[in-house]
Amino acid sequence: MSVNNGNSETMLKMVGIHKWFGKVHVLQGIDFEVNKAEAVGLVGDNGAGKSTLIKVVSGYHRANRGKIFFEGQEVKINSTKDARALGLETVYQEQALAPHLSIARNIFMGREPSRSMGFIAKKVMNKESMGALTSIGLHLRSPDVPVSTLSGGERQGVAIARAIHFEAKLVILDEPTIALSVKEVHEVLDFVRELKNKGIAVIFITHNLHHIFSIADRIAVIAHGKLLASIQTKETSVDDVSKIIVRGTLGDGD
Amino acid sequence: MQGKRYRYIQWDAHSSPIAFIVAVLIFAIFTPNHLFIDPRNLGSLAKLTPDIGIVALGIGILMICGEFDLSIASVLPFCSYIFTMFFKAGLNPFAGLLLLLPIGAVFGLLNGIIVVGTGLPSFIITLSMMMFWRGLLYGISRMMPISILSYVSKHPGFEKMLTGQLGPIPMQIIWFLGFAVVLGFMLHRNKFGNWIYATGSNPQAARAMGISIGLVKTICYMIIGALCAFASVMQSVRLGSFAATQGIGFELKAIAAVVVGGTSLRGGVGRMLGICLGVFIIQIVENGLILMQVPVFGVETFIGVAVVVFVILNTAVRRRVARESD
Repeated sequence: MSVNNGNSETMLKMVGIHKWFGKVHVLQGIDFEVNKAEAVGLVGDNGAGKSTLIKVVSGYHRANRGKIFFEGQEVKINSTKDARALGLETVYQEQALAPHLSIARNIFMGREPSRSMGFIAKKVMNKESMGALTSIGLHLRSPDVPVSTLSGGERQGVAIARAIHFEAKLVILDEPTIALSVKEVHEVLDFVRELKNKGIAVIFITHNLHHIFSIADRIAVIAHGKLLASIQTKETSVDDVSKIIVRGTLGDGD
Repeated sequence: MQGKRYRYIQWDAHSSPIAFIVAVLIFAIFTPNHLFIDPRNLGSLAKLTPDIGIVALGIGILMICGEFDLSIASVLPFCSYIFTMFFKAGLNPFAGLLLLLPIGAVFGLLNGIIVVGTGLPSFIITLSMMMFWRGLLYGISRMMPISILSYVSKHPGFEKMLTGQLGPIPMQIIWFLGFAVVLGFMLHRNKFGNWIYATGSNPQAARAMGISIGLVKTICYMIIGALCAFASVMQSVRLGSFAATQGIGFELKAIAAVVVGGTSLRGGVGRMLGICLGVFIIQIVENGLILMQVPVFGVETFIGVAVVVFVILNTAVRRRVARESD
């Protein structure tokens, strides 16, 4: 059941991706696509391969077999640096920020704006940090406070702001709403909507189908390392998708 | 609400200046005849503290990126031995010192490679390295001290550079402050410093952002090695000899100093100012207690208690902050 939106360009296309960890065949020839300005929710039971798929896209893992196309060109993503250079940014679950560092130092971690000999251009860094935050609608008082003083929703906001500041074309979010309060979930979903407004493609993994339904354009169900189903959100419901996920892991429903 | 949370963090970071002032005041008032603030005592403190102080700067930086180095207690005398051999071979001491710095860095490189390569706890690895180098040194030197007075006297410029005086101020303190300033700029104002904090605070995030945490840690180990080399020469020139027992106890004292200065044992937290003050506080407490004629074992006990108290204080404040930001 694969529906392709013929009007948008395909931003990311993965064909026949295989990944083994030792003997475990985690991704078994998976095909996956994301279109420009599209938000795709990646769902599936535990162990289906969602996280691994994301990590292959972000360069954390290298695929053993298969091809990846980005903006129509075939690419090789061998490291997180390669992925970022293409415009693929990832917001990892609970791994995104360093709690003791300030907002600005987190946003620019590894990419600090610097003058000669690597000395940080602090004013530039602070100014651009605040700019990145306001561009997704996150208003914080100062870029110098440690991120541990922020709420869960604000922290996710910082991680998302970091992703788009570096001109991401596609942002991957791994469980962005996990362990957040209702209000914080709404904040994060609003940030993701801002990403879509900017024409940035979004992939996000979640177990919470209700969250997906409020922002995803399409839902991709993964089971046993393969794409089980790809459905437009408006053509389905939470119940339908739940059934597909459960059926997909119980039997040979692929 | 945000402002209130931030206030607690600020208190934590500022606790070392307060502790420093308190320690100075207590010993200034309570030592017999206020001996503590006698210029001769202060001068002697200024000459002795940098031996461990310079190395502690590196230890603090390494702890911020999340690792330990106990091998300094043996690397320091080993470097001193190598330097003494340079002297005996007729090498000019300035050249000898310049040559010794990269040699010290190689000791550090070895630590870095093993720690990063094996992924095993650095506490254990560097403890083993400490014992290895110590055993080797005791064997090679047969534990005999070697006088370098005759060599040093031929190079008064060298002696003055390391152990002379700039007016009332001993050169050792000037070297210590110089290293502290340079390393402080690196830690607080440089990209590499941010990588050090990131590596200690959240190594997975650092890695995901393209920082090579193995490289960061190895460079920090190399910095310690070079600092050990420098401190060993400064100490030997002051003592007038190489002694295989140089540096004994430095490994724990340096950690104590750094922790008292607000550096976290878990990484990600620490400031150069805190590291410097921590070093002074430990030395001041030791010196002050001796002047108050506390028996020797009492001094060690007291320092042990003081360190535990500081760790508890720092942890308690941090936990309070964590709870309030939930």
